[in-house]
Amino acid sequence: MAELNEQQIDLISAYIRQHGVASDSLHEDLLDHVCTSIENLMDEGLSFEDAFAKTIKLFGPGGLKQVQQQTFELITEMNVTMKKLAFVLGLTSAILLLAGTVFKLLHWPGAGIMVVLGGGILSLGYLPMLLWHKLKESEKGDAPMHITGFVGLAGSALGVTFKIMHWPGAGMFLIGGMAFLGIIYIPIYFFRKYKTSSNKPVTLSAGLVAMTCLIMVFALININNSAQMDRALLLPENHLYVKAQGIRDTDFAKDGEFWKAASETVTLLDEFAVEMIMRSEEVSSAEASRMSILDLRRRNDHRTPHFFLFNEGGRMSELVEVLKRVNAASEGLVTEGMFAYEVDESYVLYGESLDWASYHFKNVPLTSVLSQFAQIKLDLLRASDMVAHQESIQPAASGPPSGS
Amino acid sequence: MYICLMYSNELIKGTLKTIVLSLLAKHGRMYGYEITQHVKEATDGKIQLTEGALYPLLHRLEAEGMLLTEKVNIGKRVRKYYSLTDAGNETSGVLAKEFKDFSETMNQLLNNFLLNPSYHG
Repeated sequence: MAELNEQQIDLISAYIRQHGVASDSLHEDLLDHVCTSIENLMDEGLSFEDAFAKTIKLFGPGGLKQVQQQTFELITEMNVTMKKLAFVLGLTSAILLLAGTVFKLLHWPGAGIMVVLGGGILSLGYLPMLLWHKLKESEKGDAPMHITGFVGLAGSALGVTFKIMHWPGAGMFLIGGMAFLGIIYIPIYFFRKYKTSSNKPVTLSAGLVAMTCLIMVFALININNSAQMDRALLLPENHLYVKAQGIRDTDFAKDGEFWKAASETVTLLDEFAVEMIMRSEEVSSAEASRMSILDLRRRNDHRTPHFFLFNEGGRMSELVEVLKRVNAASEGLVTEGMFAYEVDESYVLYGESLDWASYHFKNVPLTSVLSQFAQIKLDLLRASDMVAHQESIQPAASGPPSGS
Repeated sequence: MYICLMYSNELIKGTLKTIVLSLLAKHGRMYGYEITQHVKEATDGKIQLTEGALYPLLHRLEAEGMLLTEKVNIGKRVRKYYSLTDAGNETSGVLAKEFKDFSETMNQLLNNFLLNPSYHG
């Protein structure tokens, strides 16, 4: 009986590996099979080369790679229920996310629930199933790669959902997810591809393009306003704020209900401004009272004003109260519409009905809250001019008009 | 993928598992090449299993806990022998019985057609 020598076995082993059989246990099976077949054919009088060629031919057109492919498919085959479930989950989340985004852009009601459901199903339903399937079908060494890919994708998807809903923690999910993808998953994925690739330059460039795209997305998320846009928006707000800082409650130190209420309003506004800057910037009250809007580092902080004004014990009601008194006292003294803080009105924002305070101050960044405070102070100063004017001509006006 | 001289792929595909399990039930432990050769000889070459069909099936049956493997060094290479576990043994009996039953039913059905052409309506 013919017996293959070491060189011939090495040759066959290399051939099997080269033709795409990566699984060790399948490689062993096939090596023994091919060798035995060759040995038997050689016993029938064929040369090693002819026997080798004839044996390989028996594998059919798909060759060795197909054997491995079919092995994986048979071993990892999802059962019908799982396939259906994966399909339904994937489709549902895609439809919900798309519809939710369109609704959100058009400001139609119901966008929030769709986005939340879609993002939730995607990252907590569909992606875990995909991971499970990937882990089953691939080599053990690939597990860390698939897990980081899953964590990255699920984190990013949750981050986008949170971002659309303006929930806290969106940045953490997004940055974490993207970091997993960019720093771990993509490099490992392309490194593995590169090792087995027959066209290395193309694989390398594809990897670089993928990294570049990810970095661009990352940059776009972090720089959601360009520096110029920021400046253009902040300069008028800052101008307003600095101008209003000069207005003190002492400017309203006269007798009468209007003057009292106006002075109290200014005291309250100044106190609120300093308190919020102290909390947001973590500085002393002396420092906070000297800061202008351009000095703030956390300009988009909308949590501090929200907590300070609206949470339990929030102080918004005090401001509303004192503004009501100003309104009442200025009635008849100020031209209608010149100073009117219609604190009892309700406003409609994106189809939602809001009261005056929520409409102007809820979920609004600190810079905008401060500039609105400044605007109130300036309006009060202007109204006080009118009131002073009216009071000065009041006695004359109250007398009967002199006949002519 | 199944090189077979007499029967259609569909026919063989459904019976492959039965063939392999019954063969192992009868012969104890066998290696892959041995199985293909045995099937070929036992069926006068009417059924020839190919590697593309056999090894994926063996690996799947192993993953399902129906087969055990045992490695033996043959010179410079390793030969993997497959044998039935208890579960595999049980399944092989069930499958063989089922297939015998099925083939008898088919016989009966086809004989009826042949003997009573009026069945064709």
